[in-house]
Amino acid sequence: MSTQIDLPLTEEKDCYEIRLESIGGLGANLCGKMLGELGALYLNLNSSNFSSYGSEKRGSPVKAFIRWCNPGKELRISTPIHQPELLGIFHEGLLGKCPVLDGITADTKIILNTTLSPKEAAERFHVSAGSLYCLDALSIAMESKSRVNMVMLGALIKAAGFIPLSLTEDLCKDTVGKKYPALIEANLNGLHLGYERVSDPYTVNNSNISSEEMQAEAKNSYVWGYDNAPIGGVNPRFGSTVSNDLSPSREGYIPLFLQEKCINCGLCDSTCPDMVFQFHPGVYQGKETMVNGGLDYIHCKGCLRCVEVCPTEALVKALEKDYPEKPWSLPNQDLLPDAIEYEKTGPDSYITSDSYLTEKRVDGGMV
Amino acid sequence: MMKEQKTFYESGNELAAYAAKQINYHVMGYYPITPSTQIAENLDVMKADGEHEIKLVAAEGEHSAAGICYGACAGGGRVFNATSANGLLYALEQFPVQSGTRLPMVMNVACRTVSGPLCIKGDHSDIMYMLNTGWIILFANEPQMVYDFNLIGLKLAEAVSLPVVVAFDGFFTSHQKRKCQVFADDKTVQEYLGQKEADYTVLDFEHPVTIGSYMNEPDVMNNRYQLHLAMEEAAQKLPSLFEEYGALSGRHYKSCAGYRYEDAEIILFLLGSAYHTAREAIDMLRKEGISAGVVTVTSLRPFPKKELARYFKSAKTVVALDRQDSYGAGGGNLSIELKAALQEAENNARILTRIYGLGGKDFFVEDAVALVHDAQNLNAKTFDYFGITPGIEGPKQPEYFKPLTIDEVSPGITICNYNETSHKMEVKGGILKETTAMPKRIAPGHSACPGCGIPVNLNLLLKGIEGNIVMLFHTGCGMIITTGYPKTAFRIPYIHNLFQNGPATLSGVEEAFRERQRRGEYPEGDITFIMVSGDGGMDIGMGSALGTAIRNQHLIIFEYDNGGYMNTGYQLSYSTPMGAKSSTSHLGKYQYGKTFFHKDSPEIMSAAHIPYVATVAESNPMDFIKKAAKAAAYSREFGTAYIRALSACPLNWGDKPNTERSVIAAAVDCCYFPLYEIEQGITSLSYDPEKNGKKIPVVDWLSLMGRTKHLKKEQYSDVVSEIQNEVDRRYKRLKAKAENPLL
Repeated sequence: MSTQIDLPLTEEKDCYEIRLESIGGLGANLCGKMLGELGALYLNLNSSNFSSYGSEKRGSPVKAFIRWCNPGKELRISTPIHQPELLGIFHEGLLGKCPVLDGITADTKIILNTTLSPKEAAERFHVSAGSLYCLDALSIAMESKSRVNMVMLGALIKAAGFIPLSLTEDLCKDTVGKKYPALIEANLNGLHLGYERVSDPYTVNNSNISSEEMQAEAKNSYVWGYDNAPIGGVNPRFGSTVSNDLSPSREGYIPLFLQEKCINCGLCDSTCPDMVFQFHPGVYQGKETMVNGGLDYIHCKGCLRCVEVCPTEALVKALEKDYPEKPWSLPNQDLLPDAIEYEKTGPDSYITSDSYLTEKRVDGGMV
Repeated sequence: MMKEQKTFYESGNELAAYAAKQINYHVMGYYPITPSTQIAENLDVMKADGEHEIKLVAAEGEHSAAGICYGACAGGGRVFNATSANGLLYALEQFPVQSGTRLPMVMNVACRTVSGPLCIKGDHSDIMYMLNTGWIILFANEPQMVYDFNLIGLKLAEAVSLPVVVAFDGFFTSHQKRKCQVFADDKTVQEYLGQKEADYTVLDFEHPVTIGSYMNEPDVMNNRYQLHLAMEEAAQKLPSLFEEYGALSGRHYKSCAGYRYEDAEIILFLLGSAYHTAREAIDMLRKEGISAGVVTVTSLRPFPKKELARYFKSAKTVVALDRQDSYGAGGGNLSIELKAALQEAENNARILTRIYGLGGKDFFVEDAVALVHDAQNLNAKTFDYFGITPGIEGPKQPEYFKPLTIDEVSPGITICNYNETSHKMEVKGGILKETTAMPKRIAPGHSACPGCGIPVNLNLLLKGIEGNIVMLFHTGCGMIITTGYPKTAFRIPYIHNLFQNGPATLSGVEEAFRERQRRGEYPEGDITFIMVSGDGGMDIGMGSALGTAIRNQHLIIFEYDNGGYMNTGYQLSYSTPMGAKSSTSHLGKYQYGKTFFHKDSPEIMSAAHIPYVATVAESNPMDFIKKAAKAAAYSREFGTAYIRALSACPLNWGDKPNTERSVIAAAVDCCYFPLYEIEQGITSLSYDPEKNGKKIPVVDWLSLMGRTKHLKKEQYSDVVSEIQNEVDRRYKRLKAKAENPLL
């Protein structure tokens, strides 16, 4: 079942490196594992893979790293990958919010899950270099009833250019088929469609986008180190998580507030894990009472618990893209007036375990 | 003769588990702790599929896990364990017991930094605590070695009657997958090891023995000398064991290893996976024309000092890299031991010690290169930290909030007064919409998963409690999501301690408060002290909680019961429902999920006769808020209050975040999680699903969650009826107590 392939290596670099950027729940960890296995057991290479480490959370940025080298060469390095040959971005929402493009060069092949064309995407997301391949992996996954990671896997191996599709199929049959034989057809379909539909490469050369802006930003920020951090890891910045912008955690939906239907019962505030509802003293039906002034969408993770408990349908599920200007949006009202700069972030991203949940997490789908 | 092998693509943890499976140990006593947890998890998967017969015992803490292992060894079994970091330290006192009474076993340590501040990533600060315990310590620097050392280690352990640690880097080795070889047939492994012949066991009635004598001088000296001799014997036997194993596997090991060291003037000396990174750097340095090499050890105990010294013959400078510090000693243990070894060998090389890679800080090839470049400087410091940063003084940090004032947190929305006649607390207010006016003591922006129940429960609890609050959190998701450095969600004073010691720690805070106030050093006024536990923290922390309750400390113990160790990837806790899948209670042909009933913590706490015990659920929010107010009042005036909330975990319960409140309601309605309170020994039901016509079978609740929905299948009907009977029995008992004040 194994074959020998030629890794496109250079004088300076004797490993072929792949980095996947994703959010928890899209299956990038498993995709990384499959690529690792593909290298080791199907392409007859030396191979290693691992994911960003920590506690496991959903909806949060995750990285997966894969290193391949020729069988004669020993794999020695166990550190994260800075300059990948192949960079898979599973969620376009990460671009501009997280440093997912770090280390790209003219030789990097970037595979991006987006509805945009490569040219549009390069401009929109300020991609500075590399060859950009795009595909709408989410739609393809829905069409094929597989998952984003299988579609991305197809696109990744196509872009890589030296990996036989047939061996990748074998891998899928073995890994998916062993545990979930009923899902194999859909997943193979997803793999094929990803392989077929990924766009042609678009060579990006936006040398005017430099990292200077980022560096300027870094200079301005205050960073704790051994000279200035309070001893013992003590943190005197009470309430400082408020500067986190958690909107990247949302998976496309928001609670929409239909204020005229609201009876100010407070149930939404009792079920919201993210302190989104901004109640303040006011008048409702001629009586002085606490009234719902709006939602702090900066901290809303889109769990829609509030929609479920609202007794009057004053909160309804809506597609976020339909509401670029969210009505009844109100920042946290306890904040001091000085404008704060929010830091885009998802919940902590961590993988500690390859429990069964990793694979079966999303609505019955595998992979 | 070489034995047949097969190629795997696995991580260090997976290979440790696979070796254990092939050995087919009798018993594994364990307690999950990152990054070693996968070992037990993988063994559980294989157990569910019937691949081995190891009895996997999930202890309630590492100390007990070590006890289970010790007992199982004394019972003549082959025994296995795996742990890390503070888990290792929690069990530490058990290890000299094990070695001193000479009971061999194997324990894997996926090395991780020791808290606090709490960090889950890798360094060697845990394993160095093992140096003086009398255990043999083999250190594997890549996944393949983890497998091999698990086999060699057990053989060595039994050969010299000493326990063995197989250590390796947490995450770098424990979690990275590599191509590797394992023996194709389990029999090969079993033949290699042979049958265990225990020197002594407590299950031998023909030769009854006493294990664990009461012993003083001069006998203790002699006992320790015997242990010393055993360690010497281990040093002698290890090379031949390596040789024997090399013949079977084709993989040849030594206690030390080196790369391009033979003629090197500058030699890096380090432990673990960084050895391989350094080899990569050495090749680059050699291309630059720098005469550099690298050396490592694979046996920390016995420490191969004579052999090691031979690797440094050509060295003019040695850079000894420590992934931990023996603070105040001028180096970590590894560099100190190297210095001793070279001194004995009369090697006068200059030795530079560098502390590096703490808390999982990556060690890049460039780092190793930079260290060698630095070592070329004859004035280089003899001791330093590598990779530290002084910080950047940017613009002044914004102030997000003003500290909450006592007036702001005491709006008089929920008031609790003690009725001297009825001997009960009476709550006025607590109206849901009015409590929206309570300022939030926890800021948004925390990193809980979407729909997580923990902040929901904390918000409901804090809505009902007016006045000043000091909070303590156990380790767990609640703590991780709120206090990820350099930010914190807490707007009020907060302290964390590890999970086995939260209530005791908060007791100390409370005592200091009262004593300082009594001495006039602290202003008048009261404080509500709240200890928050969850993620199974009341398993390992039960002792501390009961001690606190029995002392009747003036504080609240609040447990968000999410039914598993969610912060480490959902291993079973004692409050996981029976039949539920978890990563240590898999579903398979031979296993239906967790095999024992959920723990009834409120009953246990009520047996400590504390003034207030209550259960709450977010599905009954007003009841929740009022009980919070009562608990606070009881804690301030009478003593310990305990509240338990059922807390949803969409990720690991396997349900949709938006549906959690109805899932919780179903748990209440099926009487799995009945709502009641016990005020000064008198039980009252807060909500009776039967009376309200809401009672549902327990399987209706279980079907709502991915972790338990398999139970609705016909094949599990016996399990379900067992659960139903137990839930019914507990509920009937509860009703009887509610009807009879004396109960």
